[in-house]
Amino acid sequence: MHAPERLDGLRVVATPDALDHAWFEGDVVVFRIAHDEVIAFGAVVAEVPDEHAIVERETAFVGWGLSYPEFDDLVARHVEWPLPTERPALAQGMAAGLPVKLWFEHDRVLLVVSSGFAHEVVERFRLPAFAESVKKQDTRRMRA
Amino acid sequence: MRFALDDQPVDFVDGDSVAVAVVRSGQHPQHGGALCLTGDCGNCSADVDGVPFTRTCLTPARPGLRVRRHPAVGGPPLQLDAPKNPVQSPVHAGVEVHRRHVDVAVIGAGESGTAEAARLRADGREVLVLDSGNGDDVVGVYPGPLVVVRTPEHMLHVHAHEVVIATGAAEVHPVCEGNMLRGIVLAGAADLLRSKGVDLGTTVTVDIAELARFEGDDGRVSRVVFADGRTEACDTAIVASRTKAPRDLLARMVSDPNVRVVGPAAQRFDLPPAPVDGFVCPCSKITVGDLQMVWDKGFQHLELVKRAALCGTGTCQGGVCMPHLRSFVSDKQGVEAAPFTGRPASRQLTIAEAAADVFLDPFRRSALHDEHLKLGAQMDRFGGWWRPWNYGDAMREYWAVREGVSLGDVSTLGKMIVTGPDVVEALERLYPTTIADIRPGRSRYVLLLNERGHLIDDGMVCRESDDRFVLTFTSGGAAFAEAWVRDWIDTWGLDVRIMDRTISHGAINVTGPLAGALLQRVGVAEPPKFLQHRHAAVAGIDCHIMRLSFTGEASFELHHPVAHSVELWQALMEAGRDMNITPHGLQALFALRLEKGHVIVGMDTELDSTPRRLNMDWAVKMDKPDFIGRTALARTADLPDRRRLFGFTMDGPAPTEGAPIYVGDRIVGHVASTFTSPILGTAVMLGWQKHEPWADTVTIDGRPATVAHTPFYDPEGARARA
Repeated sequence: MHAPERLDGLRVVATPDALDHAWFEGDVVVFRIAHDEVIAFGAVVAEVPDEHAIVERETAFVGWGLSYPEFDDLVARHVEWPLPTERPALAQGMAAGLPVKLWFEHDRVLLVVSSGFAHEVVERFRLPAFAESVKKQDTRRMRA
Repeated sequence: MRFALDDQPVDFVDGDSVAVAVVRSGQHPQHGGALCLTGDCGNCSADVDGVPFTRTCLTPARPGLRVRRHPAVGGPPLQLDAPKNPVQSPVHAGVEVHRRHVDVAVIGAGESGTAEAARLRADGREVLVLDSGNGDDVVGVYPGPLVVVRTPEHMLHVHAHEVVIATGAAEVHPVCEGNMLRGIVLAGAADLLRSKGVDLGTTVTVDIAELARFEGDDGRVSRVVFADGRTEACDTAIVASRTKAPRDLLARMVSDPNVRVVGPAAQRFDLPPAPVDGFVCPCSKITVGDLQMVWDKGFQHLELVKRAALCGTGTCQGGVCMPHLRSFVSDKQGVEAAPFTGRPASRQLTIAEAAADVFLDPFRRSALHDEHLKLGAQMDRFGGWWRPWNYGDAMREYWAVREGVSLGDVSTLGKMIVTGPDVVEALERLYPTTIADIRPGRSRYVLLLNERGHLIDDGMVCRESDDRFVLTFTSGGAAFAEAWVRDWIDTWGLDVRIMDRTISHGAINVTGPLAGALLQRVGVAEPPKFLQHRHAAVAGIDCHIMRLSFTGEASFELHHPVAHSVELWQALMEAGRDMNITPHGLQALFALRLEKGHVIVGMDTELDSTPRRLNMDWAVKMDKPDFIGRTALARTADLPDRRRLFGFTMDGPAPTEGAPIYVGDRIVGHVASTFTSPILGTAVMLGWQKHEPWADTVTIDGRPATVAHTPFYDPEGARARA
């Protein structure tokens, strides 16, 4: 289990159709968090076919990469809702009273929260704290 | 093998429950009452290893257990082992919750439950069977449906598409004179005890319908008196009954189409004869006489009898008393009374079990949290965030703003970007202020009203281009405001894009007469003028600089990507070192804004505060064709309104916030905010008068106070514009 990493990317609000056809440059993981909103972690440039799209840099999230045994042991028991079985998949909701996003990959789960709740994640899930050395790597890209 | 019962050893054998071992030793787990040994009654409950009201019939005996009988009268003493420092107590309760998502949960592994589970599995359904005999003690069924289970290791929350309750039927307990004697067991319990090799001595078996009373010596049954007058001597009285009672407490807890009851639990049984004597509710020691008393007082419905007498509210939650209570009421009313509602929990839980995986609402930390701590900040919770209340000397912080330069962490403000072809139309409808005439690069203070014209939030509207705006909201109101804006724009069907930036952007307020000079030192050669805003690099960091003022001095809010908050804060602190730059917390901020007469929504306002009541009509343009709240404001404009927020001043120290405002002996309102202003040499207040005629002079804290115009400080606003 590793200390969390700050997730840097782009947040985009646009028409749903435009988001369906959006293109992001970079080593990108795209969270479709709403029909009209995505967060593209790792993205530095976005092309979105919507002249009114809002494209903003997003640095407000941190993520813990967990193996499935770690996830089952520390996080899953706090999740009241059914977890997705397909991979990859994004799930969002409350866990241990915190708003979380869960990114299920084939070999790990990324637990993502806003950085303002990072201390609560540490307490409630007993996960490693946000190390100072990591905190300074604010431009570090998340690798999928 | 032995355990301790009231500090005396009790032998047991493998497979014994605590209750069986206690009975084998010739004792009773409580002080009397019929035993069912199936968990239906509370007559065997005791304190086990410090946990009171534990059903000893469901507790396997093991060496070292400490069992203590509850007092014969009253309840067990409360164990008040409070943590030494409640604030620092661990957030984790001692009990974990595990969760399972299943297709069907079947509660009960008896005949009906087993058959139903087999049928469901044959249909290809995933079935989880829960049974107390296997350690799965179901304590509640909730909408969802959700089944809450206590296991020996942890709490288990089962989220099922369907719940089948197959808990069977229970034997009916005897209610008659002498029914709280020791040595009375139900037929099933007698069978169990015999199978465990317990010597019951001379036994007499009596059908509940033929039972008149029990008689005994020294608290133990010695004779059974039948209804026909016969008397038989015994060591143990065994009560059999032809009728039963459905074990349907769980079913009565929830009304959910995905919860169904099968088998005897769903069956209708004849009620026993109406009780005439004895304890109906052994748990709460309620007698038939008690029922009659509440009935005579007018509580003539089963639910009312239950509430008035507390019959059915004890350990067994009606497991013993329900058929007799129903029979009592049915006999009075002449129609069969339906069972009362069931409510979780069906089993006694410890606080740790009940609170397992329940967490307090979380409070966010801004990215500057650690910086505040390094500077000695006293942190407190406001509006869902941890915020600096002060840095050890609120007056020093106050003077830094008034005379020098100060930083405030306003990252907590609500922030939102809105764009789109209909964005102006949307904002015109959302706000009572004119939006269309705000030029790009300009900003305007706005109120947010609800349909009743009541103030729900306030903030700024900053226009960036023809079709792009940045909105701000209060820290505490941000989440609601976001939902408000989204809901209305969705409802109107307007073509607008909305991006919330509350957590994504940090914001630092640089304020004080030297604020502009400080910004020049960090790369902003020409800071924006009052109510202007623009994007610029500050100490190399891209910021959206908003010039406004809440403190009454020149103020520049620097909105920036939250990842750069620490870097920006440190750069500003370093650049202002020779200016004696000092950060300020909320304590100073509340004082500074009060001198300016700025209201804080939720602190100075009430749930039904209109702009008129707040003297903020100037922020409402009734000549606009429409905005949320306009109809209500127009309708009430000519109506009398007794409530008004006033500014007050008085000599001496400021009174406590919330202090009553008197005119003569009459309380006419209360003080909302107070501060002893060092720069004005007087106490300043915002307070409500709620009775007309409004007075110019009032009494607060036993001293005269005078209505005063706001702003108290710099009424022309020259300092904010400087």
